[in-house]
Amino acid sequence: MRRSYCVAVAALACAAYNTVRADETCNSPYISKLIKGQEDYVYVWALGVEGLGDGSDKLVTVDVNPKSKSYGKVVNSVSTGTRAEAHHMGFTDDRRHIWAGGLSESRIWVFDIASDPAKPKLVRTVSDLGDKSGFLGPHTYYALPGRMLVQALSNTKDKGGKTGMALYSNEGKFLDAKPMPTANGGDGYGYDLAVNPKKNVLLTSSFAGYANYMRPLGELIKDAEAMKNFGNTMVVWDLKALKPQKVLAVPGAPLEIRWSLNPKDNWAITAAALTSKLWLVKQDAKGEWNAREVGTIGDPAKIPLPVDISITRDGKGLWVNTFMDGKTRYFDLSNPEAPKQTYEKATGKQVNMISQSWDGKRVYITSSLLANWDKGGADNEQFIRGFAWNGKELVQKFEVDFTREKLGRAHHMKLGSKALQAQAKGG
Amino acid sequence: MRALALAAALLAVPALAHHVELLPQLEFVPPAPGSYVLYHIKPAPDGTVLGVDGRAAPLARYTHGSITLLGFIYTTCSDPDGCPLAYRVFDALKEAIGARAELHGKVRFVTLSFDPARDTPEVMSRYAGSRAVDKGNGLRWYFLSTRSARELTPLVEGFGQDVRVTRNGRELSHVLKVFLIDRGGDVREIYSSQFLHPEVVLNDIQTLLLEDR
Repeated sequence: MRRSYCVAVAALACAAYNTVRADETCNSPYISKLIKGQEDYVYVWALGVEGLGDGSDKLVTVDVNPKSKSYGKVVNSVSTGTRAEAHHMGFTDDRRHIWAGGLSESRIWVFDIASDPAKPKLVRTVSDLGDKSGFLGPHTYYALPGRMLVQALSNTKDKGGKTGMALYSNEGKFLDAKPMPTANGGDGYGYDLAVNPKKNVLLTSSFAGYANYMRPLGELIKDAEAMKNFGNTMVVWDLKALKPQKVLAVPGAPLEIRWSLNPKDNWAITAAALTSKLWLVKQDAKGEWNAREVGTIGDPAKIPLPVDISITRDGKGLWVNTFMDGKTRYFDLSNPEAPKQTYEKATGKQVNMISQSWDGKRVYITSSLLANWDKGGADNEQFIRGFAWNGKELVQKFEVDFTREKLGRAHHMKLGSKALQAQAKGG
Repeated sequence: MRALALAAALLAVPALAHHVELLPQLEFVPPAPGSYVLYHIKPAPDGTVLGVDGRAAPLARYTHGSITLLGFIYTTCSDPDGCPLAYRVFDALKEAIGARAELHGKVRFVTLSFDPARDTPEVMSRYAGSRAVDKGNGLRWYFLSTRSARELTPLVEGFGQDVRVTRNGRELSHVLKVFLIDRGGDVREIYSSQFLHPEVVLNDIQTLLLEDR
């Protein structure tokens, strides 16, 4: 469908969005359209499960508008027809497409979410990541103007943790590959990436390669040698030049990166999965970027395994999900040098991703981490749960059981809006 | 060091210093020209546009043969972080390029209107004022419009320029984007407000020129 812009309206006023504003708190600041009000949908990228439904990975649309008759229900799903350890996804800068990938191979699926926001359409498969870059397991999809920067976790050669980033045009043309640094303290691992354009800084974190993340967790943690093969660094890059500038020692697999969205702030926060610590990456008075441990999540001795985090739009609060104990914790970030936990609640038997609406009043949680790391038996709940947050208590409002619905393992989430896309198409 | 020298050169131009003062402060030292890669992101789209004289021509005439800096505007735009910011950057760059003989004749600016209903060639001519006239400073600045939404849409979509109708359907909003196009007509950089600064753009122009050596 072609967009027809309302260019002939009687009185036009140009209001340009300053890109320092971010998307619903955790996406690229280059994403142009924000859902400031009530979101209509949560898109859930789900891992296929053999014998469940068609067994394939799929993009599931859940209606999350309380005013809708189908609130809390699945309204659509698009199957990829294959099972490839579906993991994360990201919007293009114009928010017209979602790029989504799997960790067991190098393919990326591109969905059109603009033509019909309720029913994403699979429009393209990017299949040359492995051939062009040698990287395996695309993880983070980060919008740059007209481009997507893709952070991978592994490589096609030995399936270890040496990996890098690949740059594509929005049209799916491969532009370049940037290996994670292995000199000056770099360990070559990759996980998440996030940018601060104002500072010309790209920040990356580090996890593990295919050989570890595709292995059953119970088996992996008993293998002392394999447990050494996790990332212990973050890297500060020159965003414009895409060149590493400084390697920061952040032990224990630092995962998701969240920059404070407050324009006056100059810091980002991350959680190290294996050590259960919060780390602050901040620019000092001399302009140097440094990393410092600033907090503890739960009891590290019990390995709660912090996974996803979600920062509030004012940079004053942080949600942290811990997979093993199924808890969702809230930290007061008023002083980012000393985060304080102010709330916790068991939100599932296993929890991974957490997303919040722009106003912070709605919080969505999913269950799956990795096919071979998810729990077994009755603990293997697979869901998306929607909560209301009043500043004091998370109150569950709906749940979709992904096993009962034969959809698979619920993983990454992105928010969708009918009005946003309708505006883009004109009227 | 080259970046610092360039910054010094920029500020050495008295008139430019005035424009730089009006621009948001750059909070980093951009990488030096030639020390990084500007990727061939995609070909600039083509279509029919109108010059200030009302004559129709293919946009390709304005996106090939010279390094082109192209930005979309509305003449009614008033958001300080939007079109006016782009205008100030273009103005500052025009003076910087005028002060550098080696850039003369190698760069053009294109300002293309989003709003064919209001921004007729006559309106664009008035909007441009003296900017559209080459005063011998080595740079041509073209102010273009289109005849209709039908002719504009493939250009907007082809560049990937966001625009949407906002409240009450009477306003258009867009994310500020400016496109750097090489002599072959390929988009090589897309600037958001944070990277749309004369120093950064001038480095990128120099980087493209270094490719020809």
